[in-house]
Amino acid sequence: MTRAYGSRLALDDVCLALEPGELSFLVGPSGAGKTTLLRLINREIRPTSGKVWIDGIAAHSLKASRVSDLRRRVGVVFQDYKLLPQLTAAENVAFALQVGDLRVSDEEARDRALDALEAVGLGDRGASFPNQLSGGQQQRVAVARAVIAKPPLLIADEPTGNLDMESAWEMMDLFEDIAAWGITVLIATHNVEIVKRLQRRVLTLVHGRLVRDQPAGQIGRMAWLASSS
Amino acid sequence: MAGIVLVKGHFPRRRMAQIVGTNVMRYVFGGAGRSWLRNISSTAPALGSMTLLLLLSGLVGLAGYALTNLERVEAGQASLLYVYLRDDATFLEVNDLSSRLVKDPRVASVTYTSKADALKRAQTIPGLPQLASSSDSNPFPASLDVQMKNINEVAGVNSLVRSDIAVDPSYPTSYDQGSYQRIQNVLFGLAVAGIVFLGLLGFVAVTVTVNSIRAAIHARRDEIRIMQLVGAPRWMVRGPFVVEGAITGALSGAAAGLVTFGLVAAGIHAGSASFTQFAPGVTVVVAAAGAAMVFAAGLGLGSGSSLLSLRRHMES
Repeated sequence: MTRAYGSRLALDDVCLALEPGELSFLVGPSGAGKTTLLRLINREIRPTSGKVWIDGIAAHSLKASRVSDLRRRVGVVFQDYKLLPQLTAAENVAFALQVGDLRVSDEEARDRALDALEAVGLGDRGASFPNQLSGGQQQRVAVARAVIAKPPLLIADEPTGNLDMESAWEMMDLFEDIAAWGITVLIATHNVEIVKRLQRRVLTLVHGRLVRDQPAGQIGRMAWLASSS
Repeated sequence: MAGIVLVKGHFPRRRMAQIVGTNVMRYVFGGAGRSWLRNISSTAPALGSMTLLLLLSGLVGLAGYALTNLERVEAGQASLLYVYLRDDATFLEVNDLSSRLVKDPRVASVTYTSKADALKRAQTIPGLPQLASSSDSNPFPASLDVQMKNINEVAGVNSLVRSDIAVDPSYPTSYDQGSYQRIQNVLFGLAVAGIVFLGLLGFVAVTVTVNSIRAAIHARRDEIRIMQLVGAPRWMVRGPFVVEGAITGALSGAAAGLVTFGLVAAGIHAGSASFTQFAPGVTVVVAAAGAAMVFAAGLGLGSGSSLLSLRRHMES
């Protein structure tokens, strides 16, 4: 797929496939096109040319009125968490579940939200508001919200960008657990240490081009990553 | 023999409908209500301008209705030619004139009004009873009331009868050349002015409402973004804003409708107290219907403006 903004190519003929249950990292310097790729996957934007298929849905040709069908299949985690401050942690998670599927009752939404919070290690903080939680805890709530509807794909844009190293490692453990349950996880990050240590598939974007697709378990030459962090 | 255990529970489809209904009420209507209250300061200008627009629309609409009725009355009166008879005209002279008019193909009907009937009729017209009582004798002449088939034929019949022996030479008929045309011109001018005025006010009200909804979208942008990202259907993301606009429109419409009804009812009451007609055809029922239409227009204007704002300012 290719995505252009005017005469500038944000993504240039990028071709990749993600397997179920696979955890991959998307790396590259700022402006390389990582966020553009995630936005294409979530159909926030359309490719200028090419195709984007997500779980059998053609995102590239999806009408605006059908975008919600795709979004229910893609969980999203942001660097800045994007929690609603007026809702508790459990309500934030339940809100995502109910607005995505109106057939979910209050009781079911609450129970599933508490289960999801329990799974991310926040079973006792369901009644806390976002401003009563640490950054790491807020990001865990955001992860719980992203996976509550059991999407086949989870994308995360710099999920550890605002976290200390300890919280970042906890977050990565969480993503590994999620992938182990069969959910495909794609994480855009600048964190070289995490990428090196986890030994997962690494997709490297530079100037909008996919310059390297390094399979899991192989350590390549990534010296440039250190300079971009 | 194996027994059968029946477990009676909720009908699933009904239960599902209840759940969906509850969620729609909470997220679409409840969310809209909370947001409307939260953004009341940015909505207030829209509320005020829309109320003013709807009030003026209601009053102008009812005035237009009254003018339309007036025009119909005037058209009817203009096609009715009063041929005033000499006080000393004989029965034969009057009968001869009447017969000729009845036979005229341009004439629909001819009715004789005696001096006594003319006096009675005058006493029902505001201002004329005083004139009638100021004289010892009856000042109103007998007449032949000629109803024309076509308003354009009045002039021809007028010229035919004014020199007749039975007709009063000093004031032969009620014919006033161009009077009907003058009324039509005035009414047309008023209609154009009213439409232009309401068009301008409508533009202002829609612009202000669009901006207030834009402010609401901005205030709730995080919530909207999250709803969009978790797969909320488009109608559910946009619905609360349409409801917000509808709330603004409904409140404006209700206020404007009530004031319109109150003003018209007061006018009718004041008119009946002084034996004058407030506005032709405008009754309490018409005023109530007008108020209901103002309310419906408010509802439509509010939700329509919201839709317009959503199309412009919200991404999918």
